[in-house]
Parts: sequence; C-alpha cells; structure tokens
Amino acid sequence: MITCGLDLGSGTTKGVLLEDGQRILASAFAPTRGAPVERGRQILELMAEEANILPGDVEYLCTTGAARYAFLDRNLQVSDITASGRGAVFLAPGTRHVVDIGSQSSRAMSVSETGRVIRFKMNEKCAAGAGRFVDRCAKYLQVPLEEMAPKALASAQPKIISSVCAVLAETEIINNVAEEVPLPDILMGVFLSLAQRAYILMRYVGIQPEVALVGGLVKSEAMVRALERTGKISISAHPMGQHAAAIGAAMLGYSRVQKLSSRPGRLPAA
Amino acid sequence: MTLVAGVDIGSTTAKCVLIENGKILGKSLAPVGVELVKDAERSLEQALAETGRGRGEVAVVTGTGYGRFKVTFGQYTVTEIGCHAKGAHFLFPATRVVLDIGGQDTKAIKINEKGEVVDFAMNDKCAAGTGRFLDVCAGALGLDVSEIGSLSLGARHPVKVTNTCTVFAESEVSSYVSRGKEAKDILAGLNASVVSRSLSLMQRVGIEPEVTFTGGVSRNEGVVRTLGYRLKLPVNVSPLSQYVGAIGAALHGLERKEATAT
Repeated sequence: MITCGLDLGSGTTKGVLLEDGQRILASAFAPTRGAPVERGRQILELMAEEANILPGDVEYLCTTGAARYAFLDRNLQVSDITASGRGAVFLAPGTRHVVDIGSQSSRAMSVSETGRVIRFKMNEKCAAGAGRFVDRCAKYLQVPLEEMAPKALASAQPKIISSVCAVLAETEIINNVAEEVPLPDILMGVFLSLAQRAYILMRYVGIQPEVALVGGLVKSEAMVRALERTGKISISAHPMGQHAAAIGAAMLGYSRVQKLSSRPGRLPAA
Repeated sequence: MTLVAGVDIGSTTAKCVLIENGKILGKSLAPVGVELVKDAERSLEQALAETGRGRGEVAVVTGTGYGRFKVTFGQYTVTEIGCHAKGAHFLFPATRVVLDIGGQDTKAIKINEKGEVVDFAMNDKCAAGTGRFLDVCAGALGLDVSEIGSLSLGARHPVKVTNTCTVFAESEVSSYVSRGKEAKDILAGLNASVVSRSLSLMQRVGIEPEVTFTGGVSRNEGVVRTLGYRLKLPVNVSPLSQYVGAIGAALHGLERKEATAT
C-alpha cells in the first residue's frame, strides 16, 4: 500500500511516497514560491514518475506544514510538529529530541521511541531563528545560498551577532562588512545566531540524546557545528532530514488506514 | 548669552540644534553613514552655517542618541531618554508622556512638570513598531518611507497586518499587493501596526495628557492621526519633532554648564 506525505511549507514543499509505512519509494522538493497547492500537485506527479506509478495509485494522502489545509485533495492533515517528530525517529531511530528549523518557524520537541511528541516549543512569531534569516543574509551579502555553509566553515573567529531581531541584525552585519570582518567569520556568526535562538527552544523542552536536526538546514554542516558548539552536544543530521515531516505525514497516513480498516463496519476514506 | 549646541546621532539621521537665550537659532539634519564622528562634526557645521556663527562661539556641545559617544568634540553626553523628555517639555510644557519613534527603536517616556524623566519603556530589541519596520515594508511596495504618511491618508479600507515581525510583515505586504490591495490601504495597515506597538509601550508607563510625539516617524501624518484616534487624545507634534532629542541635549548641556559655573 502506497501512502503520500506532503509537507507544504512556507519556503519549500516536500513530498514522500511510502510503501506500507516503511519503505521510501520516492521523494521530491521544490521552492513553494507562494503557490503551495500547485507545488504540492507538481511534487506528487514528480514522485509518481520516479516510483513508476500513477498519482491515482496513492491510496492515502496526508498533508502537513503551514499550507496543509489549503491542499484539498487530501485524506488527512497533521500538524508539522507531530509529523516532524515521527519522521525524525524513522530516519534516526535513537532520536529523543528533534530540532526543526524551517523557513518561517522553528521548533524543538522531545519524542518517545515511536516518535510521538512528548513536549514541544515553537517560534513562529519572529524571523530571528528561522531559516529565512539565512536566505536574507545570503541575499545582502551576495553569497549564493548553497555557499553560505561551506564558506562559514572556514571561520577562525566567528563574529557573534548581538541583535536578536533579524532586521536589526542586518544593520549589524553590514557594519561588520564595513569594518572588514572576514566573510567566513560573519557567515559563521549568522549560523551561531540561529543556533542560539534554536537552543532557547531546545532548553525549554529539555535536551536528551540523541538530538536530531531536521528541516532545510540539515545539509549545512555549519548549522550542525553551530548547534553543537552552542549546546555542547552532538547533533545528527540525516541527509533526508529536510523530508522528515513529509515522511512522518506519510507514516501517520498509513497508520490511520490500518486503524480504520481494523475497525469493523468502517472503511478507510478514499 | 550662551550659545549651546545639541547633537543627536541616531541610527538613521544626525540632528544638530543651536540654542541661545531659549531660542533655536539654527538646525541641521542629514542621514548618517558609517563614519559617525564625521557625521557629527558635519551636523554641527551645517547648523552653524545657517546662523553665520563660528565654532568658537559655541560654549557647550552635548551629544545624545545611539551614537552619542561619537560626538567626540562635545563636553557632555546625555541619554536620548533624558533629552527627549527635556526637549518635549521645552516645546510643549504640559507634556506628561513622550512617544519617540526613531529609526531603530521606540520609547515611551513619562515626565513630570519640570520635564524630568519619571519612568520609561523602550523597545530596542526588535524592529517591529520602529521606523525601520515602515522603511522595510514601504520598500516592498517600491516606495520611500517619506511617502507613507501622505499616501496613507487616502486609505478607504485599511488592511490588517497580522504579523508582528518586520520580515514576515514584508512578505505579508507582498501578498496583499498580489491580491490587488491598493498601496494606500496597505500603508494605513502598516501605520496601524506601528501605533498598536507604541500603545502597548505607552500603557506600560501610563497614558496621561498631554502626549507629545517625537522622532522621525512623527513626520508620518498617518501614524499621527491613527495614534490620536486610538488614544482619543490630541497629540502634540511640533514641526521640529525630529529635533527634540537635539534640543533636549543642548538644554541639558546649558544646565550642566551653569551648575558647574556657580
């Protein structure tokens, strides 16, 4: 049985096709660009092609993320916190604490061994500590987004950003550029600033090993290092961590079908 | 007959005022760059040029604002809170609450009948509710911050800006544009957001008439009107509202000079 998880995020849209709740058949992602529903459909088609099935072969579709209610062709929607916790444990089974840095919000949660969320803390009110901050810095420092992390790793003396606000930090960073602070030090400062904001959420929830980073920044080693340095802990970052919530959604879709079909007299929704 | 100068180095602009015998003789205003010491010197020179007086005739120079320590040629520095209090009292003696919205921070200051600070509340941690918020969001509309006030007055159906964070509000503005909302209605929504942030700061010190509004954002007529409407009180705004900090600095300097002379 094939279930689909679609994570309709504010920055990127992620999707996963899962077989019997355990095996990843296909995955895809694309920048949302303000059109989550259209992007979700495209991703579903892309994945169907990759798995060599028809989109109609997907038996159950579960959405998550900021625009999860906007996608009407769904069977189920789950919160990004629930989905992300599930997906993180699927990717790294020893995980007990998940830190998820998204484009517009970030969250930390402690999870059970099955990936059920026990406690969480979220920031969705403020761009400081959200992935968007890195995008903005890339833009005004004129560094391609994918080079931000590799360049930051060359930093010897990271320049700590004192402003909490993402907008006020911008002025601070520009002043640092004017004062000829080396670019890698400025960039590492950006990741450390993000890590400090995330760490506040993590500490609130209570940190227990193993800690997994999920969300769009998993592939940036500088982010992982910054979190490790800030929290004095070791962090795992699975290469598919960006798809954690989509995986979780597909898993939750599968378990919903199992639950419904085990009940006499009730058939799973089409 | 003492000529005194107040130099207010803000996050966005440098202001200078020259006062003699309780009268404002000259003033200057210019954007600040990276070299604040030079900006401070230039602001004093420009104000002097307006009066035709020489640098040697200035008895005391007092610095204030975020860059007050860059007024290296001055004798005193005073916090912007003390200066806005004194400056507002000078222009409107019955002032009890000063609201100062600058380029990068917002303050509500409670003052007594002598213009002394009784209490204050301040936001300098977050760009929301400051001039910077309006600047960034006006940028998303392709407008200059100076155009917001007059354009917003034509609003018929102001939008509601739901995001507090400047970064998120900027995207919200873009989404309103793509939904076909008019610029004036969006601008009025942004002004209302700034006003509601200010009100919560003012409530922390206690609102009491008269209210005097100072700082760069007080030049925005839309914010002034919305503030008055929400407060249900008249709001004092002097044509010199951007110079209030500099005026206060000059007066503080004069007081200190006189105190040391006796």
